[in-house]
Amino acid sequence: MNPLEVTLNRLRLPNPILVASGTFGYAREMQSFAEFAQLGAIIPKTVTPLPRIGNSPPRTAETSAGLLNSIGLDNDGIEAFLEKHLSYLLGLGTPIIVNIAGHNIAEFGQMAKRLNSFKKIAAVELNISCPNVSGGVDFATDPKLTSQVVAEVRAVCDLPVIAKLTPNVTRVVDIAAAAAEAGADAVTLVNTFQGMAVDWKQRKPILGNVLGGLSGPAIKPLALRIVHQVAQAVKVPIIGVGGIQSIDDVMEFLVTGATAVQIGTANFYNPTLASRLVGQLTDVVKSQGCQRVTELIGSLQLPNRSGCQK
Amino acid sequence: MARNTFRLRLYCPEIASRIVPGQFFMIRPARGSDPLLGRPFALFDTYDDDQGQPAGFDFGYVTIGKLTGLMPSWKIGDEVSVWGPLGNGFPMVPKGTKHLMCVAGGIGQTPFLAVARELLTSRRYGSPTRDVTTSSTKVSLCYGARSADYLAGLDQFAINGLDVRLATDDGSRGHHGFVTELLKQSLASDCPPDLIYCCGPEPMMHAVQKIATAANVSCWLSLETPMACGIGICFSCVAKIQQDDGEWDYRRTCLEGPVFPATKVVF
Ligand SMILES: Cc1cc2nc3c(=O)[nH]c(=O)nc-3n(C[C@H](O)[C@H](O)[C@H](O)COP(=O)(O)OP(=O)(O)OC[C@H]3O[C@@H](n4cnc5c(N)ncnc54)[C@H](O)[C@@H]3O)c2cc1C
Ligand SMILES: Cc1cc2nc3c(=O)[nH]c(=O)nc-3n(C[C@H](O)[C@H](O)[C@H](O)COP(=O)(O)O)c2cc1C
Ligand code: FES
Repeated sequence: MNPLEVTLNRLRLPNPILVASGTFGYAREMQSFAEFAQLGAIIPKTVTPLPRIGNSPPRTAETSAGLLNSIGLDNDGIEAFLEKHLSYLLGLGTPIIVNIAGHNIAEFGQMAKRLNSFKKIAAVELNISCPNVSGGVDFATDPKLTSQVVAEVRAVCDLPVIAKLTPNVTRVVDIAAAAAEAGADAVTLVNTFQGMAVDWKQRKPILGNVLGGLSGPAIKPLALRIVHQVAQAVKVPIIGVGGIQSIDDVMEFLVTGATAVQIGTANFYNPTLASRLVGQLTDVVKSQGCQRVTELIGSLQLPNRSGCQK
Repeated sequence: MARNTFRLRLYCPEIASRIVPGQFFMIRPARGSDPLLGRPFALFDTYDDDQGQPAGFDFGYVTIGKLTGLMPSWKIGDEVSVWGPLGNGFPMVPKGTKHLMCVAGGIGQTPFLAVARELLTSRRYGSPTRDVTTSSTKVSLCYGARSADYLAGLDQFAINGLDVRLATDDGSRGHHGFVTELLKQSLASDCPPDLIYCCGPEPMMHAVQKIATAANVSCWLSLETPMACGIGICFSCVAKIQQDDGEWDYRRTCLEGPVFPATKVVF
């Protein structure tokens, strides 16, 4: 028995420590820093149907304990991905979750169909939440579109499907419910929070794209809140992501109700972190007197609210 | 080293034994979340332990922001996070090169100490150490700064055989004007450079690119694009680099650079 194994509907992973799309390159870049075999899964950078040049620099700006980015899905397109990166990734022996983004439902469907012939892919993660791409529809701001895109991918692709949602909506719960109902095996919560950085002396926005997505420790409380809200309201496995940089952060997400987590921005400033967290998680499970990590998932005890108002 | 300019020594045999001139590393405080990301700095020079083995390295920095503003308060014995060596570094000087000219603007001078020491002294870099057999190459440094009090590391650059020429914007030391004018003078001399290495602010590198192209001299630029990871995973450090098909593409400076052939950089 592997005490760290987790199951998210049809997706079974050796442990719940994943690396987030867009923060781990195509893995090859990380070979001297990370022990791939340790990781629960690797999610390479978002792939789009055609090559995208990305946004003009500056593409990132540091904020207090956070990072704003507007990379703009700079990638060589799905054909180049399949040719240049996929066989390397699948050869690593670590589960590979391919993250895709399209401009419309048909594009998502075409990409999912293309990936369907690679049975070694562990799952497909739908990036329906990237705040940096102009011209595209932000599917995950609309429950109906979310449901349609998930259903389309389910119809053409047998691989497990994960919907990655945006926090830039009033109620993520509604979107998560729509994704679950349409057949998503799990939801990833969350992508970056839309933000902005300004150089007031030059009267200029700092990012080339003006707006960007905020990530890093600054967003952890916001991401935790969303994981909590969805865990309480929707029956769907959750992959928590946002500002995780230590084993305590991992545990906070797991007890709040995430079945797995993704490490994002922390890979940039602590490139060996993700693989080390797996060993630390084993220790925590033991020291908590548990046989399996799943005993800790969703173990948060909420206060009895009825008693606190006089 | 000079006004707002400091030198920091890191004990780190792992990087010191591998790094070569023109490569860089990333550094951040060992703890805390603000500043969050590492910052890139170029190798200034390595130093050895008592047994003559590389023990650590120095870098030079100007205080301009969050992390460099903190650095002067770091004390001996403090722990920091460092990862590297990163990037490609300057190419080995080809055999038969007659005159290597290093053109530096401001803090862009830092990579050139190691370049000069490798060529002109017995200092060796890399693992295995790189073989350098260019004793016949003349090496010069044209170094420009805003004013005399910003000129840093002149003691270190006093290397036997290194021809150092200075320029300041205000004329307080050396040539009164741009460092590119010194480059032009040298190109017009009877021992013109046949190889140029350059690092500095973008407008200066753009000017050097044009001068080198016009003179048909092989030239390499070390770009200073802002970086968030330094290791190729964030795609924030991109610069426009001409591809084989003649079109430019955004390429990651930390992986494919920071040193590029001047003919490939699109400003
Ligand atoms: C390969 C390489 C080698 C380098 N080597 C050296 C070296 O040897 N010595 C050295 O001193 N420096 C070097 N640099 C530059 C160095 O990395 C920066 O000076 C450093 O990151 C500054 O960090 P900071 O936290 O002090 O400044 P920050 O607080 O990050 O701010 C830096 C400056 O840029 C401005 N700024 C911040 N973000 C943006 C943005 N997105 N767009 C526009 N302006 C912005 C700030 O207002 C400030 O003036 C090198 C850079 C590269 C890429
Ligand atoms: C520079 C950068 C690039 C990103 N690129 C992608 C991407 O291509 N696709 C995607 O689904 N998410 C992308 N993200 C979002 C992350 O996967 C993650 O959801 C978010 O950063 C929050 O987690 P963190 O705070 O741990 O970084 C990116 C984030 C950053 C910082
Ligand atoms: S600095 Fe992150 S890819 Fe170059």
